Amino acid sequence: MAQLASKCKIKVRVNGVDCEHEVEPRLLLVYYIRDVLGLTGTHIGCDTSSCGACTVILNDLAVKSCTVLAARADAGEILSIEGLADGEQLHPIQEGFWHCHGLQCGYCTPGMVLAAYQLLRRNPDPTEQEIRRGIHGNLCRCTGYQHIVEAIQYAAKKMAIGK
Amino acid sequence: MKLRAVGKSFKRIEGSTKVSGKAVYTADVGLPGLVWGKVLRSPVPHARIVRIEASKAKQVPGVLAVLTGADLPDVLTGIQLKDIPLLARDRVRFVGERVAVVVAEDPDVAEEALMQIQVEYQELPAVFDPLLAIGDGAPLLHDSYHTYKGVPRPLPNLRNVQSHVHWSLGDVGQGFRESDYIFEHEFQTQYVHQGYLEPHAAVVAMDHAGRVQLWATTKVPYLLKQEVARVVGLDPAKILVNLVPVGGDFGGKSSILDGPLCFYLAEHTRMPVKMVMSYAEELTAGSPRHPSVITIKTGVKKDGRLVAREIKIYWNGGAYAGMKPPPLVNLPGARRAAGSYRIPHVKIDAYSVYTNCVPCGYFRAPGHPQVTFAVESQMDIIAEELGVDRLEMRLLNALRDGDPLPDDSSLTRVRCRELLQAVAGASDWYRPKSRPYFGRGLALSHRSVGIGDANAQLTLSEDGSVSLLTTYPDTGTGAHTVMCQIVAEVLGIPFERVRLEVGSTDSFRSESGIGASRVTHVLGHAAFQAASRMRVALQDQAAGMLQCAAEEIDLQGGHCCRRGHPKQMVSFSDLARGASARAQPIEVQSYMNATQVPSEGSFSAAVAEVEVDVETGQTHLLRLTTAHDVGTVLNPLAHQGQIEGGVIQGMGYALMEELIGEEGRITTANLGEYKLPNIKDIPRLKTVLVKDEVGPTPFQGKEIGESPIVPVAAAIANAVYDAIGVRIMDLPVTAEKVYGALRVKGGLVGKTRLRI
Repeated sequence: MAQLASKCKIKVRVNGVDCEHEVEPRLLLVYYIRDVLGLTGTHIGCDTSSCGACTVILNDLAVKSCTVLAARADAGEILSIEGLADGEQLHPIQEGFWHCHGLQCGYCTPGMVLAAYQLLRRNPDPTEQEIRRGIHGNLCRCTGYQHIVEAIQYAAKKMAIGK
Repeated sequence: MKLRAVGKSFKRIEGSTKVSGKAVYTADVGLPGLVWGKVLRSPVPHARIVRIEASKAKQVPGVLAVLTGADLPDVLTGIQLKDIPLLARDRVRFVGERVAVVVAEDPDVAEEALMQIQVEYQELPAVFDPLLAIGDGAPLLHDSYHTYKGVPRPLPNLRNVQSHVHWSLGDVGQGFRESDYIFEHEFQTQYVHQGYLEPHAAVVAMDHAGRVQLWATTKVPYLLKQEVARVVGLDPAKILVNLVPVGGDFGGKSSILDGPLCFYLAEHTRMPVKMVMSYAEELTAGSPRHPSVITIKTGVKKDGRLVAREIKIYWNGGAYAGMKPPPLVNLPGARRAAGSYRIPHVKIDAYSVYTNCVPCGYFRAPGHPQVTFAVESQMDIIAEELGVDRLEMRLLNALRDGDPLPDDSSLTRVRCRELLQAVAGASDWYRPKSRPYFGRGLALSHRSVGIGDANAQLTLSEDGSVSLLTTYPDTGTGAHTVMCQIVAEVLGIPFERVRLEVGSTDSFRSESGIGASRVTHVLGHAAFQAASRMRVALQDQAAGMLQCAAEEIDLQGGHCCRRGHPKQMVSFSDLARGASARAQPIEVQSYMNATQVPSEGSFSAAVAEVEVDVETGQTHLLRLTTAHDVGTVLNPLAHQGQIEGGVIQGMGYALMEELIGEEGRITTANLGEYKLPNIKDIPRLKTVLVKDEVGPTPFQGKEIGESPIVPVAAAIANAVYDAIGVRIMDLPVTAEKVYGALRVKGGLVGKTRLRI
């Protein structure tokens, strides 16, 4: 049987908290987040980077954590769904998804919300076409997507007012 | 009567946990000492198992146990017909069948161990096509079929047939003799997966009290409890199924799948065990929608009136029948195979056939999109042949109130004509086409709410709020929110004053669980009844306190008020406190057992507008207009969500989704190859609600969970024909098929044999 490579140490700032762990080099980021850190809001869907349920923000970039090695996050910063709200106050994107029925079963929602987070950071006032393009890496089977578009439009408006 | 809580788009009560990542799904359940189970699956479609050598696997460091069929009781499981072994014992019948299971400290170690298990198979002749499987030369896949528990009676008498249902009206022979023309066509449909993003998972742990605790991706927790108890030989009281939210269901999460295996691993290791299917396992060995071969023979008069229709359906049931619904082990869609039309003579025969393919299960409206594709495609073919307008032909033949249907039922509040006119109007059906290769297609279908049973318990708290206890899981439909709205409406309190509590299988004795579009109807009535009983109890208690008759008490905003005496009122919280002081809390239970399918039908009609790229064969769905026959819409945004989710699944079914198999092996094993509709695929959606005042659910609602998906594929296929004059008669309507058909343009495309 193949000899497992020795572990490597990683230091990551996750949702504002510094974390340090020894992980196997082959450990995927999604398993680091879920099993090592215990943050199960990031979900595993298709495990081949098609569905986006595992989306997190790594160093300001939305990534599919099922296709990123945990070691790649060393010295980096991660925002997972658990870090988006400000205490009890939901982020406008979370509010939008809730208010506009942009979710049903909720399984795609954390990944979808973070994909929307990246979209709105880059483009605070997107057109409907730009929203569709920005989210097309994330699948949803329940909603048919229309309410998701509306949720993101709601969030964009609210965030603009907030500024 | 003006409604205050029902009819409003309240946000989902569980929404904040879902948007914040706090919702705990089955795979998120963590327990100290949790270990992982993984399944070894057969790589061959039909074989004797000669030998399983697991010693090397057991020696992999971190492996706690390896179990094969020989280590487990010889028990068969299933929802109605029990024919599925927990692990294959001496024979495998499909690629993907469970052969062994490993439990290890982590999932990677378990996978490693799987690779060390050696299985010697002696391959047997296999059959993949249901039409071949019923032939005399086909291998017999279940010699002991007649001994299985739950077989449908009378036993079907064809080779390899799991079940046979027959529905009829009149005499088709006579009907065909009276017809001016007779048309006969064959249609085929493909395997599709429900596409829920959450793969199946189960967690089993023995607790300190010696009970077995389960968490599972199930929408039928009591069925899971009872079936696990039966299979492993335990008193059901020793099993507790904890309810967790389900990450999408669409019919796919009603089978017990890995629950019993997980139990045996937990029993063997004395540790909590978690099993999570990979998405590749879901796609290749899940419980997909039945593919079908449908022959439809229709007799018509010159003017387009339907006289007789004979339909024969062969469902490719796969290697086992255990995932098919009670009581008939066949698909409910079969009973609607004649379409939403008044036809005096009908004969429907639907056979579910054993083959060496993946066993099929339920997917939103089981059997129904398949038959609707066949019926509605043929309606267009006939209309064109007779020179009758497609819409006019449907209007001419549309069902009316009280028309007898082949399944011995008849419908009331029939809104076919209104729906057809609504969808035509909303989609500009008669507007001249403005560009080439543009087409419109139309389809009509009907369903009704489902029946079953449900429990509800309401408790009044001392702060005057009300708690509703249910054990119907949350599969994302928004039903829990609707239940709170029903309770709030009956008790006259703000929606925010109703809390929902999700119980466990300890909460009630049993109930059907989710499916068949029963929830708003059955659970809704249970909640309505409970709230009505609480209303009476509150009126009685208030009347006692206010020294008047109960009939004089109105419930308003959390108070019981004596009509005509504005100062005489008592709050819910005072009543609750008083009741507590007497050690008799105000708590009501109700049980609803709906045994009769309500006669109000729910109709759905769709118009698809497409443009076909004739150079590539690609169909672009430009707009999908759907009309739905609704009563009161209890929560408009949630209702709209069911419509949009359903029609987009219909679109996927029509154009892009197919589990492709070769010699019984599904080769589309990831979502890169099995194409679920993506946000960029979505056409413009237009919804028309045709409102009726009467419906079977509390507050006169109708069905919406499954009907939206049903007519969509047929409408799209019809639109493609309208666009370019080629008709694809087997789903999905892919670019390759259209491109190939354009090369031989001249009307109907030849049948494509099923590839599995």
